[in-house]
Amino acid sequence: MTNSSNLLRHRQLISALTARDLKARYRGSILGYFWSLANPLLLLAVYTIVFTKFFPQQVVQPYPLFLFSGILPWTFFAAAVLESTSSISANAALIKKVMFPAEALPIVVVLSHLVHFALAVPILLAAVGAFAALGKFTPGMSILFAPVLMLLQTLFVAGVALTVSSASVLFRDLRDIIANLMQLGFFVTPIIYLIDNVQSRVLRAMLRVNPMTPFVVAYQDIFFFGRMPNTSDMVLIVAYAAGSLFVGFFVFDRLRDTLAEAI
Amino acid sequence: MAPDFAISLENVSKTYRLWGRGSQFATLKSALLKRDLKLTPEQSVPALKDVSFTIDRGEAFGVIGRNGSGKSTLLKLVSGILKPSSGRIAVNGRIAALIELGAGFHPEITGRENIYINGIMLGLTRRDIDERFDRIVEFAGIGEFLDQPVKTYSSGMYVRLGFAVAVHVDPDILLIDEVLAVGDEEFSARCIAKIQEMKFRGVTLMFVTHQLDQVRNLCDRAVWLDHGMLEAIGDPMRVVDSYLQEVSGTPASPPAEQAPSPAPESSTEEERWGSGEILLKHVALTDHQGRELVAIGAGTPVTIDIDVEVRAPQEDFVFGLGIYHADGSCVYGTNTDVEGYAPQLLDANARIRFVMPSLDLVAGTYRIDAAVHTRNGRAFDYRRGVLRVVVGSRVHDVGVYRPKHEWKFEGGVAFKSIDTLRQNVPSQIAEAMKEVEKPKRRK
Repeated sequence: MTNSSNLLRHRQLISALTARDLKARYRGSILGYFWSLANPLLLLAVYTIVFTKFFPQQVVQPYPLFLFSGILPWTFFAAAVLESTSSISANAALIKKVMFPAEALPIVVVLSHLVHFALAVPILLAAVGAFAALGKFTPGMSILFAPVLMLLQTLFVAGVALTVSSASVLFRDLRDIIANLMQLGFFVTPIIYLIDNVQSRVLRAMLRVNPMTPFVVAYQDIFFFGRMPNTSDMVLIVAYAAGSLFVGFFVFDRLRDTLAEAI
Repeated sequence: MAPDFAISLENVSKTYRLWGRGSQFATLKSALLKRDLKLTPEQSVPALKDVSFTIDRGEAFGVIGRNGSGKSTLLKLVSGILKPSSGRIAVNGRIAALIELGAGFHPEITGRENIYINGIMLGLTRRDIDERFDRIVEFAGIGEFLDQPVKTYSSGMYVRLGFAVAVHVDPDILLIDEVLAVGDEEFSARCIAKIQEMKFRGVTLMFVTHQLDQVRNLCDRAVWLDHGMLEAIGDPMRVVDSYLQEVSGTPASPPAEQAPSPAPESSTEEERWGSGEILLKHVALTDHQGRELVAIGAGTPVTIDIDVEVRAPQEDFVFGLGIYHADGSCVYGTNTDVEGYAPQLLDANARIRFVMPSLDLVAGTYRIDAAVHTRNGRAFDYRRGVLRVVVGSRVHDVGVYRPKHEWKFEGGVAFKSIDTLRQNVPSQIAEAMKEVEKPKRRK
């Protein structure tokens, strides 16, 4: 695909812009990158209290660890996709005034959120270690599979980001639609509950069509249950990653030439 | 062998679409489903209509016209930011576009970091930027602000840094959109000097501007766009002049007695008139070895050679030469009569040589007229603009005439160093000129 070679050719630009994004975001803030953790940690605290105090029968133990292993990949996906909707219009000057590869912009957004995700993983690992030390939990070697899973998820997120970033230039409402879908998506992804415990037929059907479901389940498998993801989930994950990239490049290619005018 | 044009446009048209209410979803869908984006006329605004021309390598090409005439669209099409609605654009070489200086700067990060990011955006690698870094910083003159966030910069510093990065990309083709209008006098002068230097190095320049004297001073050719159509193309003096006549209704710079004919399509041609008993067959600018030149370094020796063909012997004849600045003002004019040569007989072909031990002009484009006429002024052959000469210089002094000079210092004055590069002006420029000569010559 000419498109992916294009991205490869601009890798220096993409890495420089990603570094710029991260630097610019945290320059002048005292807590620096910990702000990127604030949101998942807050969610973690709230849901831990809700599910251990109010609905204890629903809970898998240790619940905070279960929740954490699902929240991190979800936050990566949701934040990167949402921000990429405005990645091109926010950089209108580049598209209109500089010869600039527009596809770099959503990719930069995805990569800088991947960095946030990666920086949160040590905290997750520390939590795993802490619960293991307390004897409440036995971690498995499956944790070593995490980089592969993160790579596949990044490809999936990149495909979605390419699609929505270019489409939202022509169709501004997309950003609001996606913001709302993400709120809904949080609940139709098995993050705060265990997928096996779901009784509702409607919810089960929604979980089945949600592409984030196999990703989140796979993360829970390797971090929380200490086992490798099952094969059918992995097949879905690879298929979603490849399909998403294909659609992303296809859509972006079609819209690329109109971007400079439509912004 | 690469083609010898830098930029070629064939029947290029550009139509902008108007975004109607509620049509966006339809356009998104059609963009995805169909490969083409066919527009219906009422939705679209034509910005360029069927424009064709070619810019040679090493040429400085100006684009003028009213606001909204399609100048910037043209530049964006050439740079590849926009795609033409129809027609073909071929570009030959590495291109850099100065459409908005510092467009890629991020306010929160330092000047140093922005230089790298901006350079990478313009197609350099990190190593390229390392090499150029000191020159960029020096040109921008931002001093101790280098490690401050760009948001603390004054707008002048911002623009200077943007220009500094862009011109150090070392492009083959430089596109400039109106950016020389920003910044203070001193900075504009430095920009123009830098652009001239690039021109002498053989960089193809294409620039959009409202400052018509820049077009006259810097450009080899110019195009005038009006409502997206090519109104005139050719000699910058002519194009600017016809543009001014159209805009103001009167000629802005009244030419000498012989008013140029208003036909702009013949503007690359010299003007020539006379009764023809004596003809100036060939007029050339040569160096001390007799090689023909079109570009020379300031202060170098040059000779104007004139081959004269005699069709009917004459006893009353005067040879004259005039050097004109690109803005039309006369730099110097003389003839054999005013210098005391009383004519006796011209009865066979001859060669006249006007020898200048050193051409003491500042950098710029000059036009040379050569003539032979009777003592009372009746022309046998008058060749107006028979030569166009680019004078190059590394020293960015101003004006027209550069007297031979040197600086002497006595007492408590000291300089850190003398830039030896600049000291060696003539020979260096002469070398550089030789390289750009060939592609520059047309016809």
